[in-house]
Amino acid sequence: MSLVLHDYELDTGAYRARLLMKLLGLSWSSVPVDVFPGFEHQTDAFLAINPRGALPVLRDGGLVVRGTEAVLVHLAEAHDPSGTWLPREPAVRASVFEWLSFAGQELAAADAARLESMLGLPAPWPDAVARAHRALRILEAHLTLRSFAGASFLAGPAPTIADIACFAPVALAIDFQDALEDYPKLRAWTRRVRALPGFVVMPGIPEFL
Amino acid sequence: MSAPLESAALDAWYVVGRSVDVTSDARSATKLLGNPIVVTRGPDGTPLITADGRRLPTVERYGHVWTTLGQPNKPLFSIPEFDEPDRRIITAGAVRVKASGLRLVENFLDMAHFPFVHTDILGVPEQPEVVKYDVEIRDDEVWAENCKFYQPKAAATSFGGIVTDYTYRVLSPFNVMLYKSCPSAPGRLDAICLFVQPIEPDYSYALPVLAVIDSASTDTDVIHFQQTIFLQDRIILENQRPSLLPLSPRMETPTRADLVSVVYRRWLKEKGLRYGALERAA
Repeated sequence: MSLVLHDYELDTGAYRARLLMKLLGLSWSSVPVDVFPGFEHQTDAFLAINPRGALPVLRDGGLVVRGTEAVLVHLAEAHDPSGTWLPREPAVRASVFEWLSFAGQELAAADAARLESMLGLPAPWPDAVARAHRALRILEAHLTLRSFAGASFLAGPAPTIADIACFAPVALAIDFQDALEDYPKLRAWTRRVRALPGFVVMPGIPEFL
Repeated sequence: MSAPLESAALDAWYVVGRSVDVTSDARSATKLLGNPIVVTRGPDGTPLITADGRRLPTVERYGHVWTTLGQPNKPLFSIPEFDEPDRRIITAGAVRVKASGLRLVENFLDMAHFPFVHTDILGVPEQPEVVKYDVEIRDDEVWAENCKFYQPKAAATSFGGIVTDYTYRVLSPFNVMLYKSCPSAPGRLDAICLFVQPIEPDYSYALPVLAVIDSASTDTDVIHFQQTIFLQDRIILENQRPSLLPLSPRMETPTRADLVSVVYRRWLKEKGLRYGALERAA
């Protein structure tokens, strides 16, 4: 079974796929996509692969999986014999999907703020930084509640794909000049994710959060 | 409004965008040295740049468009490698950095950070030593020569570690380049430039461009390699304090590895360059 990732080093969605594959001990090959400055993801050739014009796209044998959440779910279901990254236990599983969807919606503002600050790509909202902070506050509050229950990760007792989905936009908030100084629980949680065996960084993730 | 600009900053050429991004159907409102400018392309196909309605001089070279707010006493610097027919010219777009452009240039000149910021790419922590190199000022440019550094992955297409030879060349206060061994073409040197558009004293756009021999990697590979390196630098640059570059040797203590930075700062001071520099009270 061969895994091929349509990849861009600076794309947080592609990074989430790389990170989970590393944590699962998988190997894959990358097809680099010139997102910036080439905007290759908006070309007809790429839109034929993913009409949404976005990374990541994962090919697993004959299967094509498009979009961050779908790729993470697929990797966990098809390549995680331990079953811990997407547990079957209903309460945990519901929570995993809750935070997966949070990563794709509210936390998307953090990605947008980062791309605007770093590359000048206009964010879809004029107040992307304020929206990003609202999302970070929600996550901080959730981690605080989890800590009262003695839990260290977002959804279950162990890390799940929800942690992978939320990690990158949080750890990269420094790219829009926020070093998470107001978010002690988030900082501690990013350190726990970093400590997972097989963890791999992407450029921009600081070592000192 | 800011204070009037000193001649060393005003009467110089600055990059304001990639040639391919400057088109007649796009009017890009940007800034240069704190001054709003509008960049577009005129009906005759040449770049059209205005500041407060005043038309500015333009040059198109090295894959980019250049202008000046003042009256440079010399033409844009010459980089002969761009005319060598077997080189590919690859532009990587503008990355925004909340730091002085002078800090960006100085970081580009620094080999000592390779093992720690670009771990397992441009250096390894086990081999951090910067061996002695030579620096001189030649034709009003700063040159650092005979620089050597062990690199596990010196370029987009590398097949194992090599001791890379470097030559650094500061073209002007906000523009710098290097020549380094090309892993896929022994004996030839890749040329890598970092052009800086100073937006504000502590805010800059960085526009890297490469003139490479490398025939093994695609343009996308080369761009991604360059962006990976530069984004690793960006966190360091944005979190360096002060964000302006101190020119006084008493502010930050240099070591021998920093010789080129010492010469660069002295050269800036002698020019009277203050934009992006930290001015100390007398």
